[in-house]
Amino acid sequence: MIRFRDVSKWYGHFCALADIDAQVAKGEVVVVCGPSGSGKSTLIRTVNRLEEIRSGEVLVDGQNIHAKMPGAQLNHLRSRIGFVFQSFNLFPHLSALDNIVLSPWRVNGISRAEARDRAMKLLQRVGLGDRAHSFPAQLSGGQQQRVAIARALAMEPPVMLFDEPTSALDPEMVGEVLTVMRGLVNDGMTMMCVTHEMSFAREVADRVWFMDAGRILETGTPAEFFSAPQHPRAQRFLAELRSR
Amino acid sequence: MIASAFEIVRDNWLLLLIGQYPNGPLGGIAATLILSVLGIVLAFPFSVVVALARLSRRAVFRVPATVLVYVVRGVPMLMIIFWVYFMFPLLLGASVPGFETMLCTLVLYEGAFLSEVVRAGIEALPAGQMDAARALGHSYPRAMWFVILPQALYNMLPSMLSQWVGTIKDTTLGYVINVPELTFAANQINNRLLTKPFEVFLILAIIYYVVCFSLTHAATVLERRIAKRRAGPVVLDPALAAAQ
Amino acid sequence: MKGFDLTAILSNPEFSGMLLHGMWMTFVIAVGSWLLAMSLGILLLVVRLLPSRIADGAVAAYISYHRNVPTLVQLMLWYFGIASLLPDDLQAWLGDHNGESIFAIIALGLCQAAYFSEDLRSGLRSIAPGQAEAARALGHGYIGAMRFVLMPQALRNSMPALVNHTVSLFKNSSLAMAIGVVELTQAVRQVDNESFRTFETYLIASVAYLVCSLLIMGGGALLDQHMKAMGRAEP
Repeated sequence: MIRFRDVSKWYGHFCALADIDAQVAKGEVVVVCGPSGSGKSTLIRTVNRLEEIRSGEVLVDGQNIHAKMPGAQLNHLRSRIGFVFQSFNLFPHLSALDNIVLSPWRVNGISRAEARDRAMKLLQRVGLGDRAHSFPAQLSGGQQQRVAIARALAMEPPVMLFDEPTSALDPEMVGEVLTVMRGLVNDGMTMMCVTHEMSFAREVADRVWFMDAGRILETGTPAEFFSAPQHPRAQRFLAELRSR
Repeated sequence: MIASAFEIVRDNWLLLLIGQYPNGPLGGIAATLILSVLGIVLAFPFSVVVALARLSRRAVFRVPATVLVYVVRGVPMLMIIFWVYFMFPLLLGASVPGFETMLCTLVLYEGAFLSEVVRAGIEALPAGQMDAARALGHSYPRAMWFVILPQALYNMLPSMLSQWVGTIKDTTLGYVINVPELTFAANQINNRLLTKPFEVFLILAIIYYVVCFSLTHAATVLERRIAKRRAGPVVLDPALAAAQ
Repeated sequence: MKGFDLTAILSNPEFSGMLLHGMWMTFVIAVGSWLLAMSLGILLLVVRLLPSRIADGAVAAYISYHRNVPTLVQLMLWYFGIASLLPDDLQAWLGDHNGESIFAIIALGLCQAAYFSEDLRSGLRSIAPGQAEAARALGHGYIGAMRFVLMPQALRNSMPALVNHTVSLFKNSSLAMAIGVVELTQAVRQVDNESFRTFETYLIASVAYLVCSLLIMGGGALLDQHMKAMGRAEP
């Protein structure tokens, strides 16, 4: 579904991503973890080209999203990739419902009534059916993020990307968002998720990628990675986490 | 057209520069600049007084200051010029020349607007400043004089410079009460020549543009310098350091 | 000096008529120039956002001129200067058809357009960058992102500045008296000349101006509150 082929990215003299070569199969759930500054967010943002790359290819469903292409084509490709931001980025001037209705209606061209229907169902699915007409400022962080997930799902993408979805939330709200994400996993969604929530990774991930300094240092199943990490950097990382 | 414009400047530069002095009062650019400098210099202490009055807990100070600021914000400057033109002789018992009338209006008008800038500057300081000063035993007036005002006013230097530019532009209204400043001088030239109004007023516009633009530019440079000073020493990017 | 007597002006049909006509002219000029300023301001912003250095430079020059040259001088340049360059029959037509008011609206509108465009630009810049990213991530094109996500927020963010500049625009209508428009300030002088009741006349006009300005400021504050209730972009 997602294929990274020799991807590298530089900010001037600083190497953000180096020789990334990996893939996420259809229906697979991959969790990317690692210390701050390791390049995890940069990597996931290259998938829908919110970040450009210096060399290599990123293929989504067989298409190289970094190839030179007309804007309309890029927009179309992006609409087929769901992205959930750390800072939610809900549109504050629209209600929760309208946030979800906007893009299927205006980008995909489905009728407003149908979009509304779909939006209401999604809101109920994330547990916020009764807050359809609330505005983001009136919602808690956890509620906003759930609306953001529904907004991404409304485009019916075959793959969902999560960039530290719970890092900006107060601890008591992390659970409600993870519950929604678990639901998506159970429905067979292909997911790539950057997160610090190790228990979540252990529970739902098919594979874990450990990154540091722009490279994927180790990959493995959660069982393998969490019980017996191979790379010394990974070992140090997990030891730090456990000592907290 | 350009040739005739140069001719006009060549023939009338003295009038534009200093008006009919010594055969009349000082006019032209000199009068404009003197009027604006005096205006802003006198308006400044007035604005501090008004700002402090607005922040005062005592209504006897706060209410008149607030009324003054709202009246000046709501009534056109021309109306205020006519009020001063009318009231001044009544209060002083003698007729007052245009220059002094204009100066008084400027002090009142610019002072009221400047007081809003001063008030914002004072309120923008962290509350901890006043707390610290009071905790050390300073009285409110002393804390204001030694701690709050010096900081607030330093931060406001760029705003005050742009307020001076605004004052220079406002001096043009003196034309309506025959104050011999630059716009008045230009109209005199036009009334004499009669056949080249476009050139005359274009020259007038260019002169004002050059003066105001240079001062605004100076204000921007000053603002950048102050911001740099406030930001403190440069912090090294940790990622950059790690890559080396 | 005669005793203070407002009714001498208010109940006198000639004087109150002149003042009312002055208020009407002020209103016409203010509304006319506001409409011109707002539409031109938005247009200037859109042009400035084009990926062309010439477009950016041209708009920047326009704004620089209108912010550094005093409004009264701009008015004079239009009415005395540019008008003289027009063909004679157009000048004659304008002379018969309220040319002064037309030039006043043009000059004041063009001047304020520069300020409105800068206000909207600051409003646009103050939007959190994540908003544009979210719009692009959902597949919106540049125009779609502008139309549905960024411009509505830019308008909300720039409300206070726009309201302040609207009040300035309203007050600037008084400058039109310098080119012969009989708006409220000029009407006040005329009534004063005929009635000799300077204080009362000035007071009535000042109150009228003040009330209108306060209404604009209050209306703007209400609008701002309404928008805040719906939420602003958290940075």
